[in-house]
Amino acid sequence: MTSLLLTLALSGCAEEPAPGPLLLSPREQLIRASVDIRGVHPSETELVAIEESPKLYDDFVDRYLEDPRFLDRVREVFNQNWQTRNGASYFDPNEAGLFGVSDARVADSLGDEPLRLLSFIVENDLPYSEILTADYTMADPIVAAMWNLDYPEGATTWEKAKYQDGRPHAGVLTMNTTWMRYPSMGGNANRHRANAVSRMFLCDDFLVRPIVLDRAAVDQLTEDPENAIASNEACMSCHSTLDPLSAHFYGFFFEDGAEGLEQARTYRPENEGAWRDYAGVGPGYFGKPTRDLTELAQALVEDQRFGECAARTVYESLFQKDLDDGDWSDFTVHYDHFMAEEMNIRSLVRSVVVSEEYLASQPADVERVSGVRKVSPAQLAGIVEGITGYRWRFDGRDGLTRHDLGLPGLFGGVDGQYAATPNHQPSLSVAFIQERLAQAAGWDVASHDLDPERSGDARLLLYVTVEDTPESNPEAFEAQIRHLYLAATGLPLGEDATEPDALVEVWKYVYSVEGTETAAWASVISAALRDPRLLFY
Amino acid sequence: MSGIFTRRGLLQGSAALAAAGALGTPRKARAAAGERKFLFLFASGGWDPTTVLDPHFDSDKVDMDPDTELGSLGSLTYTGGDPRMDVSRFFSRWGRQCAIVNGVDVHSVGHESARQFVMTGTSASSFADWPTTIAYHSQVEYALPHLVFSGPSYAGTYGSVVAQAGGGTLLDLMDGSLLGRSERPAPIPASPADSMVDAFVYGQAARFADGKKGLSRDRAEALVGSLERTMELEGRLFEAGLNDLGNDMLDQCIRAVEVMRLGLTRCSMVGIPGGWDSHGDNTVQAVQQTDMYMVLDQLFEHMSVTPGSSTRWLIDEVVVVAMSEIGRTPLLNGSGGKDHWPFTSYLVAGSGVNGGRTVGATDPGLVGLPVSFSTGRESDSGDMLACENVGAALLELAGLDPQQHLPDVQVFDAILG
Repeated sequence: MTSLLLTLALSGCAEEPAPGPLLLSPREQLIRASVDIRGVHPSETELVAIEESPKLYDDFVDRYLEDPRFLDRVREVFNQNWQTRNGASYFDPNEAGLFGVSDARVADSLGDEPLRLLSFIVENDLPYSEILTADYTMADPIVAAMWNLDYPEGATTWEKAKYQDGRPHAGVLTMNTTWMRYPSMGGNANRHRANAVSRMFLCDDFLVRPIVLDRAAVDQLTEDPENAIASNEACMSCHSTLDPLSAHFYGFFFEDGAEGLEQARTYRPENEGAWRDYAGVGPGYFGKPTRDLTELAQALVEDQRFGECAARTVYESLFQKDLDDGDWSDFTVHYDHFMAEEMNIRSLVRSVVVSEEYLASQPADVERVSGVRKVSPAQLAGIVEGITGYRWRFDGRDGLTRHDLGLPGLFGGVDGQYAATPNHQPSLSVAFIQERLAQAAGWDVASHDLDPERSGDARLLLYVTVEDTPESNPEAFEAQIRHLYLAATGLPLGEDATEPDALVEVWKYVYSVEGTETAAWASVISAALRDPRLLFY
Repeated sequence: MSGIFTRRGLLQGSAALAAAGALGTPRKARAAAGERKFLFLFASGGWDPTTVLDPHFDSDKVDMDPDTELGSLGSLTYTGGDPRMDVSRFFSRWGRQCAIVNGVDVHSVGHESARQFVMTGTSASSFADWPTTIAYHSQVEYALPHLVFSGPSYAGTYGSVVAQAGGGTLLDLMDGSLLGRSERPAPIPASPADSMVDAFVYGQAARFADGKKGLSRDRAEALVGSLERTMELEGRLFEAGLNDLGNDMLDQCIRAVEVMRLGLTRCSMVGIPGGWDSHGDNTVQAVQQTDMYMVLDQLFEHMSVTPGSSTRWLIDEVVVVAMSEIGRTPLLNGSGGKDHWPFTSYLVAGSGVNGGRTVGATDPGLVGLPVSFSTGRESDSGDMLACENVGAALLELAGLDPQQHLPDVQVFDAILG
């Protein structure tokens, strides 16, 4: 008996802790951080440095967080929740005196008004609560003209600006763009707008709440919908809190059928009490009376869910998964850090990207968390441009970040119209886009680099000339292909790698079919750019 | 389907195979065996069930369109009469293959939430819609498992099987013409060379997937599967008629069933054109629904004379589901329009459908009534019919176990033949 107890005790003492995650290599860690923070791969110099001294990781993260491209990424990440980039210009630019400015260009600027306030906050290390309490908006000349803003004369970039129609300023809550994106007229009584606020800033979407309408509720709705909303328990379960939120937005309200930019862009303080004519419920915030938009903003930023929602938006984007119960302890660490750092988004991102869970190649629970991330359309564009100097543009517009051709949606990005959540599973269209972009970039690089009269240095073909063939200079071919892989993936090929031989065969075959070195090298480059390690990180 | 160009066949013939190393095995064996295909048609904005599918001529609580009258074919009833000649023509020709499903509760009167409910059976954004779910769980490998020409799509976590036509951009990607449209244009690589690069890339992706576990492997394998499909489609674009998506609903429907016939697609979604949210003028409903039945008549005609992939005629292996996210109020409002209503109707037709009948029921106020799920008839001891019950029946029609996808949701058996 004694020995059995001893055995049990020893076995208990010797119990191994649950296996932790397997971590990425130092190179892979830096690639993940760089792609997430800046949307591009690190330079080879940086990768060599981290390989030699992995402890430099935190220093690199700090440096990347100061990179201007970090602000682009912040806008991209929060747009996945806010979805103000929807390609809509809402009005004829000519009405605002923007003659010759395309609708698409106007849509780019308007969609960014809320997101530019966010990136201004992040850039200046202001608390995230400023997004709802700022007494200004952000504008470029197009936004300024469309919304008739007080904007610095002669300025050409994004600057602080003010609405001039006497409206209260409450950050995103008082921007025209927000309420053009989320219109709510007539019988809807601003409820769509109220739900947009709840979804964007509390991560609480009324529309996904389960609804149980019993027969009594249906009968009541048949007779008098507004009365049912105000008295039936099933309806009240949402409307008792939704309708008081809705009551804040009547200054932005104009009747169905009202047309024209001037009418739509003007805030009307005299309409603020129009809730009496519609839902009949005065303004309030989850049981607490509020008088106006500035008080609503204050109530929102004091709600614990406000900070949680911001932290959740960042966390879910960096892990490419919906937050679930299994994430809670890990998430809480980052949320607490965010709040302790006065809602500083930069600190929040840093907290996540230096964590062990983030750097896992094989998470502890591989069925719940993916150890590989898929690049977004903007990340793919940035990575390929960083490698090749090539940007896929159509009619002066970026193909992978603008919605003109629908490429971002086809690649799994959100478009503010049909695709409301990012798709992290590669699909047929993802594979096609990577293929065609690789072919376009491969051709561009090969045409440039093999041109004896080119301007500037070669971009990728550093080891071969147009005269070289696999037979005349096999060493150069091998070195060139190894360099292509290093440039494309950030990871050196092993000594016994099969890629050089395989791609020499590709080169020979394409050359035999097409008859030009440019076509042969374009195919080889495109093959390297289609490596899965470009798509995943 | 013999002679179909397959990924493995291409790879085995490729000089790059040996250099590319061991390749992954495609997850699904291609098979000629028949699986039902599904064409979903969606009227986004909310159609009026009384316009065609759910007539109420004896109720003073329902405003029916003037000059219409009850049409019937056996136990299938619809709104007929002179203004609905094209509707009557459709049902007289194809009504025996059609089930009308009335009184379906969509749980909401908001477009977005109701659309999610009728498409997925839940309010959770992580759930895929019916066509995506069916496509994802197919036994057969399809190059374009779920092809969305237009209309809603909820990919959930099955996004790898959804291909959005994207206003034609997908086709420009497939045939490579997008390369020539960019600011620094590139030529389309010659086919044999392109295939060799494709085979090499496929090998790289398969090796990458081999080293992964769990969700990482799912993502990596989704890339492998997608690469297989890109290669097959590049070779079959013209055969499938995918060089031109067409401009109208009939074009898209014909192309949808054509790619089904060729074994490229299992499910497809086509939006039914029109401004359906008729708050201001409900007369648009009659025009648009009549147009839809004219299209359906031509579609069914096409399917009835076109050989199927595993059945004699295409009509014997395709299920057509026409639906909308909400219904409309029974009475006209002050503007001559009708507002949102939480009960709607479906038209389900084709292979495996218990046709020639109307199932489900609404009372004189257009409110859903309890029905027997086995007979589809009104029954005091029956259950309220909701969109998830119809969805579960579609999953069963597709050969899936609905309980695995929607536990505890009762299947509306009445539409199953």
